[in-house]
Amino acid sequence: MEPSVIEFRNVMKRRRTKTIGPIQLSIPQGYIVALVGPNGSGKSTVLNMMMQTVFPDEGEITWFGESYPRELPISIRKDMGFVPEQLSAEEQHMTVDEAANFRASWYDNWDGYFFDELLSRFDVPRGVKLRKMSKGERRKFEIAAALAPRPKLLLLDEPSSGLDPFAWKLMIDQLHKVMKSMDTTIVLSTHIVDEIRRLADYVILMHHGKLMGMVEKDSLLDNWKECWIQGDASIVEELPGILSSRQESTNTISFITTECLEVEKILQSAGIPFIQTRSLELDEVLRIWIDGNIPANVQK
Amino acid sequence: MRIPIQINENSAEPLYHQIETQLRSLIISGQIEEGTLLPSIREFAGNLNCSVITVRRVYSDLENEGLLRTRQGTGTFVAGVGDQAREHYKRDAVIEALRIAVDKGIAVQFSEDELRELFMEVVREKYETKGGR
Repeated sequence: MEPSVIEFRNVMKRRRTKTIGPIQLSIPQGYIVALVGPNGSGKSTVLNMMMQTVFPDEGEITWFGESYPRELPISIRKDMGFVPEQLSAEEQHMTVDEAANFRASWYDNWDGYFFDELLSRFDVPRGVKLRKMSKGERRKFEIAAALAPRPKLLLLDEPSSGLDPFAWKLMIDQLHKVMKSMDTTIVLSTHIVDEIRRLADYVILMHHGKLMGMVEKDSLLDNWKECWIQGDASIVEELPGILSSRQESTNTISFITTECLEVEKILQSAGIPFIQTRSLELDEVLRIWIDGNIPANVQK
Repeated sequence: MRIPIQINENSAEPLYHQIETQLRSLIISGQIEEGTLLPSIREFAGNLNCSVITVRRVYSDLENEGLLRTRQGTGTFVAGVGDQAREHYKRDAVIEALRIAVDKGIAVQFSEDELRELFMEVVREKYETKGGR
């Protein structure tokens, strides 16, 4: 197993109306991890705690194996890029170039050429003050600025909100590019199924402040399937991970399983072929997972 | 280069297995030549919309079979498939396909003789009436 970039141990954060945690979490280096879950499930709080813009009430967080309960040192912070959901107000009156200079002064690894290249790719106007920008333009500036220091860890809180489809595609391509260096890690929160599909290696699901687990994306897609076979309920009863089944005709039964790979092995040894199988859509998968059905191979 | 692999998400076959089978057959059939530099693991995963974990598994399986080799710092290349090995792989691929066909026959309760007869019938049909290859 790869070294972990960030670890949460029994982390709790009490908010006025809800409690986040206790959270156990380990983000492996070199992967893209998608943080998903309904509105208000605690995704932003988790990202903010990773960036230390929010401090936990209980538990411990470590960055590259070290804990910094008071303040993240510059040496760690300069390797982290963050696109928050709520964009900061303090740079509102600055133009793109002024804001870029301001940020470059914090990051000695700021790559001005790369930043310029990203801005022109994203087609962001440079002379304009940030507060005059459209939501999408501002988002594109934030993404470019987060990438410019070539961080080892990128935290993106719903980065695509406000982006048009062209800018969204550019962002996906850019994120793939930065991942070419094998020690870069991305954690992003998202509601967009296509974004998970294109980017994620692992999926973490949050619900009501609790972490429901982390699982390989491909394992979800391989295992959560709707299947049709010849037979009746007596066969389906013997299979693992069955969520529901339906007798389609006297001799055909369909069922939904969370363990298709196991099911296939069992059916194969019994000499029963699939008539048809269908992958569940990711949004179906997430809904069923939220309902309390645990995926195969989940890391908790 | 871009590798022409088609993933069928609705198949019961796991993703890594689909990719592995197709990549293996592209290499053995010579459609991807010896010495070709394959995409990096992340790039390939991006093209296929699958995770790097899956691609890494495929590369390492095919490396163990001797079809790929990885050079530190440069990437993963297609290794030379010797003529003998190619014949060997071709044979294995055919045997595998026949196994699946026989399993299908067993599943619908055909007898050994019936299967043999059907097999000969298909062979005749393919080689005689359509001229085979």
